[in-house]
Amino acid sequence: MSRLIIRKVAVLGAGVMGAQIAAHCANADVPVILFDLPAQEGDPNGIASKAVAGMKKLDPAPFAAKDRAQYIELANYGSDLARLGECDLVIEAIAEKMEWKLDLYAKVAPHLKAGAIFASNTSGLSIEALAAGMPVDRRSQFCGIHFFNPPRYMPLVELIPTAATDAALLDGLEAWLVTRLGKSIVRAKDTPNFVANRVGVFSILAVLHHTARLGLAFDEVDLLTGPRIGRPRSATFRTADVVGLDTLLHVLGTMQATLGSGEHADPWARHFITPDWLQALVARGALGQKTKAGIYRKQGKQIQVLDLHLQDYRDSGGEVFPDVEDILRLKNPAEKFAQLAAHTHPQAQFLWAIFRDVFHYCAVHLADIADNARDIDLAMRWGFGWAQGPFETWQAAGWRDVAEMVRDDIAHGRAMAEVPLPAWVFVRAGVHAPAGSYSAAEDMLKPRSALAVYQRQLYPDRVLGEAPDDRGETLWENAGVRLWRRADQDARIGIVSITSKMHAIGDEVMDGMLEAIARAEIELDGLVIWQPAPFAVGANLQQVDAACRAGQFALLEKMVAKFQRTSMAIKHAQVPVVVAVEGMALGGGCEFVMHAAHRVFALESYVGLVEAGVGLIPAGGGSKEFALQAHALAQRAAGGDVFPYIQNAFQTIAMATVAKSALEAVQFGFGRAGDDVLFNAHEILHAAIRRARALAESAWRPALVNPAVTVAGRNGIATCEMLLVNMAEGGFISAHDYRVAKAAATALCGGEVDSGSQVGEQWILDVERAQFIELLKTEKTQQRIAHMLETGKPLRN
Amino acid sequence: MSKQIQDAYIVAAVRTPVARRNGAFRHVRPDDMLATVLRELVARVPGLDAAEIGDVIAGCAMPEAEQGMNVARIGLLLAGLPDGVPGITINRFCASGLQAVADAASRIRLGEADVMIAAGTESMSAMPQIMGNKVSLNPEIFARAENLAIAYGMGLTAEKVAQQWKVSREDQDAFAVESHRRACAAIAGGHFAAEIAPYAVKSYAPGADGTVRIAERVVEHDEGPRPDAAVDKLAKLKPVFAARGSVTAGNSSQMSDGAAAVLLMSEAALKRYDAKPIARFASFAVAGVPPEVMGIGPVEAIPRALARAGVSMADVGWTELNEAFAAQALAVMRQLEMDPARVNPLGGAIALGHPLGATGAIRSATLMAAMQRDPGLRWGMISMCIGTGMGAAGLFERV
Repeated sequence: MSRLIIRKVAVLGAGVMGAQIAAHCANADVPVILFDLPAQEGDPNGIASKAVAGMKKLDPAPFAAKDRAQYIELANYGSDLARLGECDLVIEAIAEKMEWKLDLYAKVAPHLKAGAIFASNTSGLSIEALAAGMPVDRRSQFCGIHFFNPPRYMPLVELIPTAATDAALLDGLEAWLVTRLGKSIVRAKDTPNFVANRVGVFSILAVLHHTARLGLAFDEVDLLTGPRIGRPRSATFRTADVVGLDTLLHVLGTMQATLGSGEHADPWARHFITPDWLQALVARGALGQKTKAGIYRKQGKQIQVLDLHLQDYRDSGGEVFPDVEDILRLKNPAEKFAQLAAHTHPQAQFLWAIFRDVFHYCAVHLADIADNARDIDLAMRWGFGWAQGPFETWQAAGWRDVAEMVRDDIAHGRAMAEVPLPAWVFVRAGVHAPAGSYSAAEDMLKPRSALAVYQRQLYPDRVLGEAPDDRGETLWENAGVRLWRRADQDARIGIVSITSKMHAIGDEVMDGMLEAIARAEIELDGLVIWQPAPFAVGANLQQVDAACRAGQFALLEKMVAKFQRTSMAIKHAQVPVVVAVEGMALGGGCEFVMHAAHRVFALESYVGLVEAGVGLIPAGGGSKEFALQAHALAQRAAGGDVFPYIQNAFQTIAMATVAKSALEAVQFGFGRAGDDVLFNAHEILHAAIRRARALAESAWRPALVNPAVTVAGRNGIATCEMLLVNMAEGGFISAHDYRVAKAAATALCGGEVDSGSQVGEQWILDVERAQFIELLKTEKTQQRIAHMLETGKPLRN
Repeated sequence: MSKQIQDAYIVAAVRTPVARRNGAFRHVRPDDMLATVLRELVARVPGLDAAEIGDVIAGCAMPEAEQGMNVARIGLLLAGLPDGVPGITINRFCASGLQAVADAASRIRLGEADVMIAAGTESMSAMPQIMGNKVSLNPEIFARAENLAIAYGMGLTAEKVAQQWKVSREDQDAFAVESHRRACAAIAGGHFAAEIAPYAVKSYAPGADGTVRIAERVVEHDEGPRPDAAVDKLAKLKPVFAARGSVTAGNSSQMSDGAAAVLLMSEAALKRYDAKPIARFASFAVAGVPPEVMGIGPVEAIPRALARAGVSMADVGWTELNEAFAAQALAVMRQLEMDPARVNPLGGAIALGHPLGATGAIRSATLMAAMQRDPGLRWGMISMCIGTGMGAAGLFERV
C-alpha cells in the first residue's frame, strides 16, 4: 500500500477546536494554515491571529513549546482560498450549523488540491449529509474527523467514513493521526453524536435525571462522580462549567433534534430535555468558567455552588455518606455493584442508577452506533477520561448478574427507559474476550485493527478481558527493577524497567540498575530504560527520611555516592543506554534521563529537577550535567563565558521548573537536540529499542569523562546570589529557599574556586554531594521532606 | 567658593525623541543617535568653527557593546566633526548626562577650553539585560552583611525608600498618572518641539520579493507618555520587586532609548561667535547615600548645589527631577519641601522615559527650552538619584 503523504494541513475555522487542532499540527512539525473569515477592519487575518495569540495564554497549553505558534500560517476566506491548493488535508472546524458548513464547502471545493482529504470536525452532524455538499468526484476523499477538547491532551479522534469514502485513504489518515499527531482512533458510524458524545452526553443526562430525582446537590454529585468511580476530578458539573453551559445546552438541543424522532429515534428521547435551572443560568449569562460563574463560582478564595433549594449560591462542600464511601472502596466490582444496588441511601441508589442506565443505553445502542464493544469502552476512556469503559465495568462486575439486575429494574419501571435489553446480552458471558470484542451488528467477536501502524504499539491500551500482553522474557530482576527482553522485537536489546511504587528510585533500584547495566555490557548490544508512565517521580524520600531521622549521615553520603555512580554507569556504559520517557520524570528520574546516551520522549513528558521543593539540590549528577552543558555551549560562544548558561540552569533548578512537554524538556536542557520526541506514547518502547539498535550498529561510543570542565566558580556563585538577595529582601523567598538555591548555585558553578577554573567531572560530583548532605542536615530541609511524605505537597518554610 | 576663572554658558541643546525600549529605536544604534544629535547641535550654532571644540564628553551608563569602545569619540567621528576634536565617555550611571554637562562646564570655568560639548547616549534596547552583557558580581559583596545592598536591584531600593519615607502606593500611582498627564499636555502643546530634532529611522527589512526593503520613518515625539494612564488601571498592576511592595511597572521610570547634546561656551567664545547664551551653569554637586536607599540621593546633592550658588529652594522655578521611581521622587520632594507644580512641569521619566546615561543631557535640553520660553524663569535645576547610592544636582541661571 502506498503511503499517504500530508505535506501541509489547512484548518478552516479558528474557534476553540480549529485553532487548537492547528496548534497541535504545529507541535508535530506539520505545516498548517489556519483560516477564518476576513476581519471587518484592520489585519484581514485578524480573527485567526487573535485566536493564535489567545492560545498562548491558555492552561493547559495547546502549544508544546512557546515557539510553536509561529509555525501556524494565518489566512482568510476572502483572499487566500487559492492556498488550499497547497494542502493535502483540510479539516473543517467551523460552527455546528449545517447550512454554514455547506455554504463553505461550495466556496472552497473548487480550490482543493486533487486527491486532498477534506474532513469535518463536526461533533454530531450527519457526515453523509455534509458529504452531499461536496462535488460528487470529491466525496471519496470526505470523512468525519472528530477531535476532543483539548485536542493536544485528549487522545480520542473519531473517524467517520461515508459509504463513499475511499477505504485506503481512511487507513492512511488513521495511521497519520496515530503516529504523527499521537491520537487514538475509534472508527465511528454515521449516527448522531457518533460514539463518545452519544454515550457521554447520555451519561450526563442520566446524572442530571437522577440528581433531580433523588434531590442530591451538585457538589455532592461531583464528589460521587469523580475519581471515586474512575472519572476525572472535575467530575460532572465542574466539567460542564469548563466545557461551557451554552455548549452543553447546544449539545442537548442537538440530541433532541436528531434523536427525538425520525430515523434515529432514541427510546430515551423523553429525557433529552434541558433542566430549567440550566436554561436560566445560560439566559443570565452564567456560562461557566469562561464567564467566571456557572454551576460553580469563586467568591474570593471560596468556591461556591448553585443550590437549587436555596435558589442561590452557597459555599461548596458536600460529603460522601460513610457507608457509600466504604462500598466504593471495595476491590471486588461484583460486590461493589451488588451493595450499591441494595443500599437504600440516596447516594448509593444514585450511583447504581447512573451505571445501570448507561449499561442499558450502551447495550441497546451497540449495534447502531459502534462496530464493537471495545470501541465504546475505549472511546469513553480516550474521549471522556473514564478509567474504564461501560462494558468493561459491567463485565468486571459479573456480566450475567448485572444483566439480571438491569432487566429487573427495567421490568419494575426503575430504569430511564422501558426498552428491553437486547437478546444477545443474555446469551453471552461478556463482550470482551481474547479473540476480540463483541459486535452486535454482526454478532461476532471483532479483533483489533490490523493496520501496520499498530505494530509500533507494543503495549496498547487494552480492555478488560482481552488477551494479556506479552511480558517478554525476564533476564534478571530484584526488588527494584526487572531486566527483560522482547525477543520478537530484538533479542539483544535489553529493557530495564523500574518496578517500585511510582517508580521512585531507592537503594534497590540503584542496585538493580547497576547490575542490569553490568549484565547488558556482557550479554547484550544495548539497553532501554522503560516503564509505563510515570517514568520516575524521583529518589525514594522514605529511605532518605528514615536515615535522616536516625542521624545516619555517613550512610546517606554513601547513598548519594551510589546514586551518582548509577547515573555515571548509565552514561558511561559500554553499550548504549536509551531512556524511553512518558509522563513525569522528576528529580532523580530526570537525572537518569539526562545521563542516557539518547532519549526517546513521548510528547507528554513532564521533566524537571524539583529537589528544591524538598529543600535539596540535584546531586545524582544533575548539577554536574548542567555544568558540562554550560562548558560545551560556552566553547561555541564568543568570549567563552560559561555563566550565561549556568544562569539559565540555576533558575530552572532554583525554581524547580518542570518542562511541560518533551519539546520544553529539550529546550530546558534535560534533553538534547537530536533526541526523539514521539507524539504517541504507545510507540516509545518500539522506537527506543530500534534507536538502541541503531546506536549499537553505528558509530556510538561511550562518553569520555571530561577532565577539564571550565566552571563559573566564585563570581558565578556571587552573581546567582545577587538574584537571591533581591528575592529574599523582596519577600519572595524564605531564608531557607535562599540557602537551598545558593547550594544549587555552588554545585552548578563547581564550588568556591576561581571563575574560569578547570575541574574534572568528579570534582563537580563531589561538590554537589557535599552541598546535598549539608542541606540534609538542616532542620528546615528535614521538615520539607517529612511534609512531602505526609501530604504530597511542598512545604514553604 | 568660586575659584573658577570664568563662567560657562549653555548656548544650545538638542535631543532625540525618547523611544520606549524595543520601540521606535529598536534597531537604532546608540553611536548613530549620538552622531545625529552632535550634527544637529553644531548646525544650530551658525558660524561655529567645529575645530575649536575642546572636547566631547558623553555620558553613558553601560559603555559596552554598541555603545562601548569610547562611544563619544566614535559618535563625533561619525558626525563628521574634525579629527582634531577629542572625545571621552564618562559613567556615573543615571547622572552621566548631567555629569557630562558639569565636566564640560568645569573645563571652561578652569580656562582649559572655550567651546565644549556635553552629551549623553543610551540604548537600553541594545543591552540584553539591565545589567549589561556580562553580569559578574564580586563575592565580597555577599561575604559581609554591610556590603549586601550593593547587590540590590534599583526597584528594591525604591521599596526601601517607600517604606522608610512612608510613600503610599496610592500616592505613587497618582504621581505617575500626573506625570503622564503633564507629558501628554506638553506634547499636545508643542512644548518639546524646540528641543527635539526629529529622528529619521531607517529600517532594513526582508522584503517579500527577496530584496531588502529600506524604509525611513521620522520619529518626532517621545514614545512613552500614555494618554490613557489612569489610577484605577495602575492600581491593578502587581508589585515587581517585593511581594508585599508598592513599586510597579506603572509607577517606575520607563526603559528607553535616546540621546542629547549640549553646547557650552566661555564668555570670550560667546563674544567671538556673537552667540546668545541661554543660561549660565551655576553650580553642581554630587553626594553619596546608603546604597539600599539610593533613590533619596538628591536630598543630599540638591542642598549642596543650592548652597554653592547661594540660592534657596524657593528661588528655583523649574526642577527636572528624574523620576526613577515615583516612590523616591515623592520622598525627595517632601523631604526638601519642593513645590510639586515646579517639579517636572512637562512630566518626568515615568512618562517620558529614562535612557540612563543620556537622561541628564536630555533634561538639560528640556530645561534650556523652558528658559527660552519663559523670561520670568531665572533658576532651573536638574537632579537625579544614582544607582549604588548617590545623588547629583546641577543649577542653571537664565541669562
